[in-house]
Amino acid sequence: MTGMDKSIPLGRTKRHASARARREAWVFLALALPNIVLIAFFTYRPLLLNMYYSTLDWTLGSMDAVVVGLGNYVEFFTSGDAEEVLSITAIFTVATVGGALVLGLLVALVLNKKVPGATLARSAVFAPYVLSGVGVGLVWLFIFDPVYGALSWVLRGIGLASPQWINDPNLALVMLIIVYVWKNLGYCAVVYLAGLQSLPKDVMEAASLDGAGAFRRFWLVSFPLLSPTTFFLLITSLLSSLQAFDIIKIMTPTGNGTGTLIFEAYLQAFGAYNRAGYSAAISVVLFVVLLAMTGMQLRFVERKVHYS
Amino acid sequence: MTTDINRRNLLAAAGLGMGALALAACGGPSTAAPAATASATDWSKVKPASKITFMSSHPGKSADIEAALIKDFQAANPGIEVELVTGGANYEEVAQKFQTSQAGNNVPDVVVASDVWWFRYAIAGTVVPLEALLSAVDDKSAGFNKTLYDDYNYGESHWAVPYARSTPLFYYNKDHFAAAGVPDRAPATWDEFASWAPKIQAANAGKPGYLHAYQYPALAGYAGWTLQNVLWGQGAGWSNKWDMTANSDASVKAMQWVADTIVKDGWAGVSSKDAVADMTAGAISSTISSTGDLVGTLKAASTSGMNIGVGFLPGGAVSASPVCPTGGAGLVIATKTSPERQLAAAKFISFVTNAQSTAKFSAATGYMPVRTDADMTPVLSATPQIQVALDQLKVTRSQDYGRVFLPGADLEMANAAAKIMNEKADVKATLDTLQGKLEEIYTKTVKPKLKS
Repeated sequence: MTGMDKSIPLGRTKRHASARARREAWVFLALALPNIVLIAFFTYRPLLLNMYYSTLDWTLGSMDAVVVGLGNYVEFFTSGDAEEVLSITAIFTVATVGGALVLGLLVALVLNKKVPGATLARSAVFAPYVLSGVGVGLVWLFIFDPVYGALSWVLRGIGLASPQWINDPNLALVMLIIVYVWKNLGYCAVVYLAGLQSLPKDVMEAASLDGAGAFRRFWLVSFPLLSPTTFFLLITSLLSSLQAFDIIKIMTPTGNGTGTLIFEAYLQAFGAYNRAGYSAAISVVLFVVLLAMTGMQLRFVERKVHYS
Repeated sequence: MTTDINRRNLLAAAGLGMGALALAACGGPSTAAPAATASATDWSKVKPASKITFMSSHPGKSADIEAALIKDFQAANPGIEVELVTGGANYEEVAQKFQTSQAGNNVPDVVVASDVWWFRYAIAGTVVPLEALLSAVDDKSAGFNKTLYDDYNYGESHWAVPYARSTPLFYYNKDHFAAAGVPDRAPATWDEFASWAPKIQAANAGKPGYLHAYQYPALAGYAGWTLQNVLWGQGAGWSNKWDMTANSDASVKAMQWVADTIVKDGWAGVSSKDAVADMTAGAISSTISSTGDLVGTLKAASTSGMNIGVGFLPGGAVSASPVCPTGGAGLVIATKTSPERQLAAAKFISFVTNAQSTAKFSAATGYMPVRTDADMTPVLSATPQIQVALDQLKVTRSQDYGRVFLPGADLEMANAAAKIMNEKADVKATLDTLQGKLEEIYTKTVKPKLKS
């Protein structure tokens, strides 16, 4: 057999190989093409279309538009809109991500204790994450209403007036941050809990034997070992916060003080202004921010992560 | 000749495909010069379509009466079916759906358009002028209330017919006023109310959950509209035709008075959501709201054993009348349909705004009857308070261009009002900023599209 193999001419072997490669390529295309077409049509086509629209002065609903090149971007970055929108986005993102991560970790530490009712508590903590954003927004809107809301009733009971949660732009942003942290901390808690339960016991025991107290064990051993979990949560929470929309739309429909990048893009096109081209430019800015943040996280944050 | 499919070829093919898609994607709005206007349709040769759609937000909780009017229309016009489509919970949501529908081929035929939306549709060319269509369905349009009908006049055409038209009314809690010993009526002027307010506030402060003698309506959607009353009363306004006057001395003085009622005098507050609901909850003694809220408010008040009175909007130190703006919504017909559908739509809008229909609609909601020959006797016997709205209609004033014709101006006004009324911002500086924004919107968005 070996002799026969050696007798097969080189050209014939190559032809067989290329025929097989062709067959495999056609099989690959047959399997992948439907998905490629769908992704290209429903993901990349709108993306490219949006970039094209961002170069137009186009009123939503109008059949005509004027090409303005980079005019929408210039206006966004020179009119003061960028400063306001980006600062609101930064405050909202940092507060919601930071709040959900810190509180989620604290809740996870509590849930990690072997106490009666821990399973029920875990379910209760996780429940808000799977609730509909619209429903959550409506319920919290009732709670925060300064006239007949549940919170104002409680405050009146202790002789305090309700803050103007909805009318005051600064408080409206605080209100949204509270709701988003409440909704997302359960997710962080459950992921952190899984991380805590997979930590190596021998390392913790060694730290105890060396005389480390509970806080030092957590800060110097557990927390660094949880860094892959923290990194994962940081990425997912950041992307989720930058794309937060439903609760903002329900609780502050006109965006007074709550115009994050994504919500401002919505308001400009579909709210009062109907500036579809300008809105598309803001969407492109959001896309670039998301791309840059993901790149930075992968480039720099991952280096600090300790994998066990 | 055969070419091997390798990774490089595949990527190149994918790249080409993406490029082709990108080019194909460039099919949105046209960036070419606008085409010449199409020739006029000879409506006598057009047969009405058998089915049309009517997109509404059911203003004033009017879903039931709209369905009833459609039933009446279909009985009178057996060949035409009307599908009622809920376009959202308010005028803005309907506008959003109507405008996004322009990208496709399923545009609603008849749409509810508020005072701040019809003009945008008109200059964008998404609705048709109505004179020829109304003539084609033998509606002379002479029966419309002239003020309400002429609100839709632009470029020598009418672009909507009045439908759910309203004015703001002064609503007050009669029991609260009686407890304070002030007259059982709306104040004639804001100065008069300023003299009553401390007494009303003091007399009712002990009631559970009580907040203020007066509550400004929720700012989003209402500030620009209702604050015209205060501005006009003090000889000010958002604009004078196309000249923006938001930061004139008179406007600054008027808005400073508003700020003082909240911050300095403390007898007024600002509603977060619904001032009428605040009143029926017993938290406030008076407010301003639409006539479209009248029937619902009276029903809610009677359920909770509350006595609600209504009156004209108070006048100001400079002008006692007219200080009441018109408002509400009309009906428009979409451009992007067929002549057959447009003719059927014209029949429909003529029917639902005729004397009988408008009386029924008014009885169910409290909105103004839009035809002068509407028989309001049965309506008034059931809800006599509607007479106040009818009387006030005679002394209304069309709204400032700055509010109704500039896209986004209403939101800018609400945001400026929020800064002044909630954040105690400097009035002059805030109105200077608003003035700049209004002028920018006019110059960039409206002026280039105005018909000479």
